[in-house]
Amino acid sequence: MASLLAAGRPASRRLRRREALVGAAFVLPMLVLFLLFRFAPFLGGLGLAFGKYTLGGGFRWKGLDNFERLAHDGLFWHSLKVTLIYTVVSVPVLVAVAVGMALLVRRSFRGVRFFRAAFFLPVITSLVLAGVVFIWIFSADGAVPRLLGSIGLSEGSWLTNDVLAIVAIAAVAIWGRFGFDMLIVLARLQDIPRELEEAAMMDGAGAWQRFRHITLPQLRPVFFFLGVIEVIGSFQVFDAVYIMTGGGPVKATYTLGYMLYDQAFKFFDFGYASAVALALFALVLVISLVQRLILDRGSD
Amino acid sequence: MSTLTQTDLGPTTPADQPAAAPPGRTGRSPFAPQGVGRVLTGILLTVGALATLFPFYAMVVLSLKPNGGLFFPGSLVPNDLTLDNYARVLQGNQVIRWALNTLLYSGISVVFVLLLSSMAGYAFAKKRFPGKNVIFWSFLGMLMVPYHITLIPLFVIVAKADGVNTYWGLIVPTLANAQATFLMRQFIRGIPDELLDAARVDGASEFRIFAQIVLPLCKPILATLGLFVFLWHWNDFLWPLVVAQSPEMQMLTTGIAGLMQDKVPMSVAMAGSVVALAPIFVAYLFAQRHFTEGATMSGLKG
Repeated sequence: MASLLAAGRPASRRLRRREALVGAAFVLPMLVLFLLFRFAPFLGGLGLAFGKYTLGGGFRWKGLDNFERLAHDGLFWHSLKVTLIYTVVSVPVLVAVAVGMALLVRRSFRGVRFFRAAFFLPVITSLVLAGVVFIWIFSADGAVPRLLGSIGLSEGSWLTNDVLAIVAIAAVAIWGRFGFDMLIVLARLQDIPRELEEAAMMDGAGAWQRFRHITLPQLRPVFFFLGVIEVIGSFQVFDAVYIMTGGGPVKATYTLGYMLYDQAFKFFDFGYASAVALALFALVLVISLVQRLILDRGSD
Repeated sequence: MSTLTQTDLGPTTPADQPAAAPPGRTGRSPFAPQGVGRVLTGILLTVGALATLFPFYAMVVLSLKPNGGLFFPGSLVPNDLTLDNYARVLQGNQVIRWALNTLLYSGISVVFVLLLSSMAGYAFAKKRFPGKNVIFWSFLGMLMVPYHITLIPLFVIVAKADGVNTYWGLIVPTLANAQATFLMRQFIRGIPDELLDAARVDGASEFRIFAQIVLPLCKPILATLGLFVFLWHWNDFLWPLVVAQSPEMQMLTTGIAGLMQDKVPMSVAMAGSVVALAPIFVAYLFAQRHFTEGATMSGLKG
């Protein structure tokens, strides 16, 4: 209820009208911004996908042409594959690292604040700016190939290797993101009643048993939450790809997000790029619905 | 009003749930790992911290190395250091111009996002008006729409309005922030109606109630949210890349990305990155709690 005056006794019509006017006035600036810069572009994006559009030449309706082209475009299927591989490689590792680190810095000990602060530092770092050093780290003379070389494993640049390049991008994304997810997990861990674990300990449960039967079930909702946002995020991966590989070598890191950028702002094919965006959107919707379903079942 | 403290606002406000270091749990835990577990924990944490911090160390050391080439055969031991790379990247004031652009982009956006989202949040939390729920849920629904699908039409709209390479074209479209509106609404819902009604009985205007009661009570969330909006804009890449292309309109991120494509020596680009990252790191050093709170909030409530 908006106000006590209105709730306590039947508000007069004038008072309600006044309240509505005030409410509308306060929300109006944001509403206008949303109409212009969120809803209109959203509808526009749906529309553009069904035609050909150039900034000078205007819009020509083409029906399903763009989607037909998409279906026969090997590059689209390739970028879809790259994006899915990237997601499958990066998201589980990311969530696992985040949960692992959260468990390690969960308790209070000397220096715990340092570790928490250090793990969060990459989160506030632009991956574009950090990309400069990561190009070096994964280059033939860089830290990772040299380190692996010194123990007799693979040598040579990761960024020019068509298998390792995507792994490098995933590694950078995990580096830049796990601190954020770790905080989410930590927040959830703090909410688990301490008595639960204390009782289990009295009953003689070891660390692993406590984790398996108390902590893990309590974390389930967080797993799904992180899964959803990280999968959606990974479908749109762009910054690290742009700066580190430019989609190469030989399109090995050519993701959907990168293809969309390429089509729109290199070839200025706004209609076709919008069709790619729509495919991306559909993919995100399906994945979040599936995850939603699993989440609902899991919480029963 | 001045006696109303943060805790009076009820348990639903996000700022009441500090994420990283809750009070009362600082004592030695009965299940703190012991023996082998403790050693293992120490090793894992050290490896984690090394992996996390090494890139920063490498970036700083390499930016201080005398080097003209694209790659570094040299070592990471900090000897024969020089400031040449910094002199080179700062020369011509290009980076300073980019820093000013980034500061404008971030600063102006913060002010307006905070103002407009708290206004809208107030209306959603405390007022009844026709269409309120539809509008609110459509705002939230936009969070589900990938940024990429609106990017192209957004660019077309801005381009049609001659907004490419202008500050307003860059800033105005980023102000429609659903997440900020949602967070402000959640927080303002925790402000007791009695307080606002009392002011109303005293004859305060709606604007005064908002400016002198609601906003001051929102200080903690405004600080945290503001910091996060600032950070988001400071690191933003794709939108500036598309809208602010001319050299004098670029941000630090797009400018330095451009430097690398110009094939300047990597050590020079790294010096640029260090310059661009430094302000954020200094802010983090002083306001760490707000950064982590902002992350938890946006994660849990968004």
